[in-house]
Amino acid sequence: MIAGKTWREVRWMALAYLVILEALCVPVLLLWPDIYEDLQRSTLFKNLGIDFAKRILQGVTDKDEQIAYTNWAAVMLFFRSTNLVCVAAAVLFGTGLFARERENQTFEFLLSRPVGRGAILWQKTWPTALCLVLPIFLVNLSAIFWSRRIELDLPLAELLLGSAHAGAFVLFFLAATTLLSVLLRTQAHVAAAIGAFAVLQIGVYLTQRLRPYSLFKLADFEWYGPLLNGNVSARQMFDPLHGPGYTTWLLLAAAACYALCLRALRKATP
Amino acid sequence: MNVPAIVCRGVGKSFGGTPVLRELSLVVPTGELLGLVGPNGAGKSTLLRTLVGLVGRDSGAVAVLGLDPGRDPVAVTRRACYLPGETGVYLQMTGAEFLAFASGFHPRRDAARERRLADAFELPLRRKVRGYSAGMKQKLALLATLAPDVDLYLLDEPDRALDASVRLLLRDELRAMKALGKTIVLSSHHLSEVETLADRLVFFWQGALLADDEIAAARAQLRRRPRVRLRPGAALPAGARELRREPDGTLVVETDADPMTWLRGVPDGAVECAEIGVPRLDDLYDALFAAKARGGRT
Repeated sequence: MIAGKTWREVRWMALAYLVILEALCVPVLLLWPDIYEDLQRSTLFKNLGIDFAKRILQGVTDKDEQIAYTNWAAVMLFFRSTNLVCVAAAVLFGTGLFARERENQTFEFLLSRPVGRGAILWQKTWPTALCLVLPIFLVNLSAIFWSRRIELDLPLAELLLGSAHAGAFVLFFLAATTLLSVLLRTQAHVAAAIGAFAVLQIGVYLTQRLRPYSLFKLADFEWYGPLLNGNVSARQMFDPLHGPGYTTWLLLAAAACYALCLRALRKATP
Repeated sequence: MNVPAIVCRGVGKSFGGTPVLRELSLVVPTGELLGLVGPNGAGKSTLLRTLVGLVGRDSGAVAVLGLDPGRDPVAVTRRACYLPGETGVYLQMTGAEFLAFASGFHPRRDAARERRLADAFELPLRRKVRGYSAGMKQKLALLATLAPDVDLYLLDEPDRALDASVRLLLRDELRAMKALGKTIVLSSHHLSEVETLADRLVFFWQGALLADDEIAAARAQLRRRPRVRLRPGAALPAGARELRREPDGTLVVETDADPMTWLRGVPDGAVECAEIGVPRLDDLYDALFAAKARGGRT
């Protein structure tokens, strides 16, 4: 019941989100041959003082076009789309999950149905999470098709691993937003709080000395580039004992947010 | 033996140090229609929320249909429907979708009652709720609460925003439900309707129920306050003093002796008509709460 209602609430937003992701993907891939040529000629980035931008430039101007293109996909599909569009979508989807119920005075109605609060949380979460993560896989897999149009390849297994990591990254944002949606009374407050957190994290990321402490360090070019080029294994992604295990840490952080959500929801009064 | 539908023993609840329910004890037998009466903030809504586990109590014991709503609210709400006092309805749904959503949580629906109420309420169920008026939204919430076939109905101001004809219809429906053995607890500020509908009334004041002897004393005092309409030009006979004059000219007076004795001693022709007997609920309410509110007494 609640899952169906949640699905009806997010389905059009999810469709718009899928279209936006795909619209961001297609031109940057199809225009790659021209972009590659321009980038190799350009001297703009060579004098950049920002080291991560330099490394991105080095990656996408590699003499081996296939490697350069894979790095380009890492930057465009994951570093850009995931960190901007998907995080924004996570915030948009998660903000209203509970705060909108409070604003519309349906929270008391919902809590007084014969269904546990854990079930309410779960039935609101899984359709939202699915609508958020599934498009990431679909769009990234579609990149294989578009790449063939310009006679280049993107590796399927690595794309799936990258999508899984991107999914974990946005799930964390969804979980954090959901937690705030339980704790705060209005959608505006939730959006302001999570937006401020994201902006702060971006600011930290752009500050060279502080970058290792930014959440976006877990999902930047230096993670996705090696991942798409086959230099990071699934074990290194998921097992903190055999690699950074960033994906697992993100999933654990999301799980911790949901545990806090459940605790807050159980204590919540109308 | 018939288990009472609701048993509360010494229930206490505070919000931020302010007591909202204080040592509240109440037993509601199965099949009773109980009216909760009291001023705003007296604790009626908090009690109803406590009964469905929406609010946890700080002290005391509660059993609803033999279950503890603090421990197992889901089991309670499976057998009890609750209408919140300030409920919203999902604006993006149609009326029919909302009804299906709300009643879908309960295993049994009383389809006949649902159809009867839907027809009587004349709700445009195919339209989005967004376009409903406040009264239509309240009717929809009410319909969604009364449609499931459960043992207990807890209604917090069910007649809010309803016009008089719908309130009468609701009264008939609640009577019919009571005749089927359903237990109903409702709070309302429409005192005359609660009075005619409820089997029993309990009076809330600052989180506690007023004691029976206090209510009995108020009733006894009110019995000595007949309403009289004097003939034009007639003065109020001795032995009574005017308490207030109502817009239609009727006087509420307080008699020194028994009102019947006083009336018998009134000179012929002075009084056009008089009303003596069981006090009205609004008078009782006024006697119980208005003075307290004015004096700030507890």
